Amino acid sequence: MDQALPPALPNDPMTDFFWEAARNGELHIQRCQACGTYIHQPRPICRNCQSFDLAGEKVSGRGVIYSFTQTFRAFHPFFVDRVPYVLATIALVEQLGLHIVSNIVGVVADQVDELVRIGMDVEVEFEELAEGYMLPVFRTVAAPVAVSA
Amino acid sequence: MRRVAIVGVGYSDVARNSGLSERHHAAQAGMRALADAGLTAKDIDGASTWGGDAIDFAWMMGMGPLQWSLNVGVSPAFITPAYHAAMAVAHGHAETVMSFRIMMQQPSGAALASGKAQLGAPSPGDTQFQHPFGELSPTQWAGLQMQRYMHETGTTQDAFAKFAEVQRSYAVMNPDALQRDPLAAADYLNLPYITKPLRILDCDYPCDSGSAVIFTTEERARDLQQPMVLVDASAISAIHDMNFSIMPDMVRTAPAHCGATLFSRTDIKPSDVDTAHLYDGFSIITFQWLEGLGLCPPGTAGDFILEGNTALGGKLPTNTDGGAINVGRRHGANFCIEAVRQLRGQCGDRQVPGAEVSVWANAVGPFGGAMLLTKG
Repeated sequence: MDQALPPALPNDPMTDFFWEAARNGELHIQRCQACGTYIHQPRPICRNCQSFDLAGEKVSGRGVIYSFTQTFRAFHPFFVDRVPYVLATIALVEQLGLHIVSNIVGVVADQVDELVRIGMDVEVEFEELAEGYMLPVFRTVAAPVAVSA
Repeated sequence: MRRVAIVGVGYSDVARNSGLSERHHAAQAGMRALADAGLTAKDIDGASTWGGDAIDFAWMMGMGPLQWSLNVGVSPAFITPAYHAAMAVAHGHAETVMSFRIMMQQPSGAALASGKAQLGAPSPGDTQFQHPFGELSPTQWAGLQMQRYMHETGTTQDAFAKFAEVQRSYAVMNPDALQRDPLAAADYLNLPYITKPLRILDCDYPCDSGSAVIFTTEERARDLQQPMVLVDASAISAIHDMNFSIMPDMVRTAPAHCGATLFSRTDIKPSDVDTAHLYDGFSIITFQWLEGLGLCPPGTAGDFILEGNTALGGKLPTNTDGGAINVGRRHGANFCIEAVRQLRGQCGDRQVPGAEVSVWANAVGPFGGAMLLTKG
């Protein structure tokens, strides 16, 4: 059987910075250059101050688990061998309400109940899905991290 | 503005993999709604739909000429064509409008896993921030919402099990339901997870369905054959773009905003509501509407359900048709139609005695809508 490919990424000038940064092992999030508001997912305009002056900027990669769901069914061929996996909404520390969807890695499936909880601190790392295709994923950390207001 | 009434309701031959086209479902549902109202196709001068093309349906059925029509795209399900139909009548842009929700069964899990099919996305440009992480199904945002809700409120899986049991208790009494075998809370708890804490019985039941509802003026409704049901107030809310899974607050979403808006437009209070018909595309959505509409205090929907308040004979019979978990995915049209039937007194064994005020509601998260109906 052919190896199933991960979902393809579009060629999108507005979002290329995110995937390019991931290839370099960094998490970048779009930020308004006028008012400093972080915006995810990328948009052509800042919803806080309506500026069009936006750019990707490196963030700390630290966050808190806002919610998560252990997914037991595959909804795409690439994930058939990966279930169960943990899909999570991560609250990045840079800004209240700045959420990103990702995965929690480094926890074996039958220990998710014990080891993954809402409110846990997490840190970004990068998983290579295919050559040149790096995915920002998160792992729980022991040290406490405060969410800035 | 003119007062608006609902005078006709109808379903197609709703079934799993029905073998019928979208047009068949529209034609069957539409003709049954006309018969229910005692109207003919020529009486319809406005049409709206979510799914298919309202003008195509109207022409096919011999309606018109139309002086108003609307095809809605991504929006809070049946409430959207229904809300706008009521507005068109209220403002005199049409006299008698038929609203449709036609939906065909979505691909199976096996078809998705094999790559033969893919689910559509409400915000296609954003899937690059979802699909690579394995977020490919609405069951996943629902799992995220449910997990966060349980975390914040202390609600346990027992409340969701009870919810499934109560929904099925109604479906047993509803000849229109597709799933009618009795079900106990324990049966729910024995099911495997899909997107933990969500199980299959937290999801609506995929099928092909056609639903149609006819709106006209109160004045015209007086001459028609059904007991009068009036639109008292309605509201639609949008509080975020279509990315459910990155919403800053997953617990107080569109239902909270929509509930406040709805009750600001009427003298009716949440405590006046006799029956509630609250979207259950996923069970957590009904929980959010119970709280968002002020039918129970914030964070207490689980206890409200566990105490039996939503069952027949309870304080607030809710989803008395059995919900979309049991009648099949009709995208909210079933809640409108069941509310109308309760107010008419046509619900047979599951009739709520003396029902005079009913609310029905659709969608969750970024967007939602609700409508209050009263017995005329």
